[in-house]
Amino acid sequence: MLATRLGAALVLGACTMAAHAAPRTPVQDSEVIERLQLRPGDATARELSALRAAVASQPNNPEPAVALAQRYFALAAERGDPRYVGYADALVNRFATQMNAPLLMVRGMVRQYRHGFAEALADFEAALKLDADLAGAHAWRAAIYLVQANYGAAAQECTALQRLQRPVLHGGCAGLTQAYTGQLGAAYKTLQLALASAQDEDQRLWLHTRLGEVAGWQGQTNLAEQHYRQALALGVDDGYLLAAWTDFLLDAGRPEQVIQQLAQWESNDGLLLRLAEAETLLKLPAAAAHTQTLADRFAAAKLRGDTTHQAEKARFYLRLRKDAKEALRLANENYAVQKEPRDARIVLESALADRNPAAAAAVLEWLRTSGFEGTVLRALAQQLQPQQTSTAGGGK
Amino acid sequence: MMMRTLLLLPLLFCLHLSAWAHKASDSYLVVQATGTTVTVQWDIAVRDIDFALGLDQDGSGDITWGELRTRQADMAAWALSRLELTRGGGVCPLQVQQLQVDEHTDGAFAVLQIAGTCPGAAGPLGLQYRLLFDLDGLHRGLLRATVDGGTHTAVLSPTSGALQFGADGISRLAQFKQYLFEGVWHIWIGFDHILFLLALLLPAVLARTSPQGQWRGAERFGLAWKEVLWVVTSFTVAHSITLSLAALGLVSLPSRLVESAIALSVVLAAANNVWPVVEGRRWVVAFCFGLIHGFGFASVLAELGLPTDALALSLLGFNLGVETGQLAIVAVFLPVAFALRHTAFYRKGVFVGGSLLTMLVAALWLVERVFDLKLFTGAGG
Repeated sequence: MLATRLGAALVLGACTMAAHAAPRTPVQDSEVIERLQLRPGDATARELSALRAAVASQPNNPEPAVALAQRYFALAAERGDPRYVGYADALVNRFATQMNAPLLMVRGMVRQYRHGFAEALADFEAALKLDADLAGAHAWRAAIYLVQANYGAAAQECTALQRLQRPVLHGGCAGLTQAYTGQLGAAYKTLQLALASAQDEDQRLWLHTRLGEVAGWQGQTNLAEQHYRQALALGVDDGYLLAAWTDFLLDAGRPEQVIQQLAQWESNDGLLLRLAEAETLLKLPAAAAHTQTLADRFAAAKLRGDTTHQAEKARFYLRLRKDAKEALRLANENYAVQKEPRDARIVLESALADRNPAAAAAVLEWLRTSGFEGTVLRALAQQLQPQQTSTAGGGK
Repeated sequence: MMMRTLLLLPLLFCLHLSAWAHKASDSYLVVQATGTTVTVQWDIAVRDIDFALGLDQDGSGDITWGELRTRQADMAAWALSRLELTRGGGVCPLQVQQLQVDEHTDGAFAVLQIAGTCPGAAGPLGLQYRLLFDLDGLHRGLLRATVDGGTHTAVLSPTSGALQFGADGISRLAQFKQYLFEGVWHIWIGFDHILFLLALLLPAVLARTSPQGQWRGAERFGLAWKEVLWVVTSFTVAHSITLSLAALGLVSLPSRLVESAIALSVVLAAANNVWPVVEGRRWVVAFCFGLIHGFGFASVLAELGLPTDALALSLLGFNLGVETGQLAIVAVFLPVAFALRHTAFYRKGVFVGGSLLTMLVAALWLVERVFDLKLFTGAGG
């Protein structure tokens, strides 16, 4: 036991040192300084270099720039690497004075990524003015409205997608709107219909992931697991899927599987958080080092003024640092910007741990007005009620 | 049209996770400007350099030190064309002196050690930064700039444009506080100053009936306190005088001479306790040697760099800091010494023994400093 602790402390020390090491001059020319994420020979690298060549040969043509920017954006989602979003942003900025609909679309995506939701909505609006049939712009607007818990506006976007005869996009949009507004059963059916008309792996992966979440909210764990497994079986890297699946495993009390699943995903901070949670539950020595790595990365993000990860940070404070007060502060800060079920959940959990039900008032109100049926959230809210009455009865 | 929208689908409604993972690109810029001299330590991610310049010569996917090192000139030209420092009415030409590597939370970084000379020594430091903004719209430069002792931090983004850092940038109060803190800090880490002061304070709680009589405890706290007050005040007045003269550049003494004289002052002050020569007027001793210690403080202040436009304020802050540090030592020492003054432990052990030990330590410093040797480490000053 002592040896394990000592080992953890040493690993931790080594990590901390690595993060704050002093500049050094390597001795051997052959020393490897950095491993690139994309090997020059692999398919993605070849695809990117072809797209870049097209941009270089026609620097004033927005079309190849948009194609490359969209590929970058997709890579950012696959790998969870924000550098690609920055590359997309810079590509689009070259055409700042001559924005067309596709360029506005990419800029809107970049802006929503930075949580500039109002600016992003303006870009999608402008894109739709130039091209009224731009289904993607409606879909993105719906996504933002859902995050903001503006379900009426989201429903209008879904209608627009239906009018444009985009069954898959419409099904995804309508299904999620139903899910967030107290109709999990209907949501499941809508998403399944969309799945039936899905045409490629990416669509199927996404829909299975969302079906897994809906089934999970309903408390149908076997069904949820089936959907997650079907999504995983497609063999496509997807950070969102892995996060949803490992959250499911954590809730189901299966942290061993989280560790197996995420062993190679330490560079993705959202997934590293799940990995560290699983290691903490199992009291593994690696937990200390991974928790420290996360703390370092949060500190680094704070340095650059990045506040887009408050939800993960709240979870980090609640589950790894056991600091409910700070977790609650961050969870509410996040909830002011993003109001999806997982944002609501961390507020409830933190308020419960901090015995401060009053701080969860906004989320309890959302649960009441939206009618969201998620079993875990409902149970958390129930647990908060007695606290609420005891606080009130205490004559505070 | 169809293709493009399909491509978007997997991303839809996934705002959450994609919003934060890995880390966006940052470079770390530490700028020091003192007078006309500027130095910059600039840490740039190896991944970013590869993206901009292409470092992987053998196509292995690994960047080796050799691949990095051989491209030093290209890296320097690329980076320096994207950073502009100005001071005293013109651009400060910069040169990369050395290339090193370091690790930050998201991987390996090339460290460029840069130096330059500005056209003028006064006025604010201007900075314009545009590394990678043409390639990565989310890139940021994390800056820490120290201009004549005043420290500023900033996050450099495509919209931050040209920035100015001078004494105006930070409040006078903050600057005053900074120097106050430096003063306190210096007295705490300056063992020779502390030992000198203690050597003079040890006898303050004692008194002798006749010039050759036995030491015994002072009758009243008031007497001991008065003695201490005189000693500390005269020491402060003296070192403030020489510190100010030296800091203003009016008097300058070779540092080896000053450091040796400080060590000698400690030897003599401690010896005077065991074999008294000067009694009663210890404040005169404190004053005379205080003049020497002032030159010692001045060399510290020179290392910190004094802002030209807030010279008097910073000097005052530093002096008050030294004084505060001293008073903290006195506040701990005096009550304990007064309580123990009648005991043999104090008179023999602390007073005589402590003085002898102080003498020995200071004598070793003296030898070290006079002959420029390194006998043992830990010598303060």
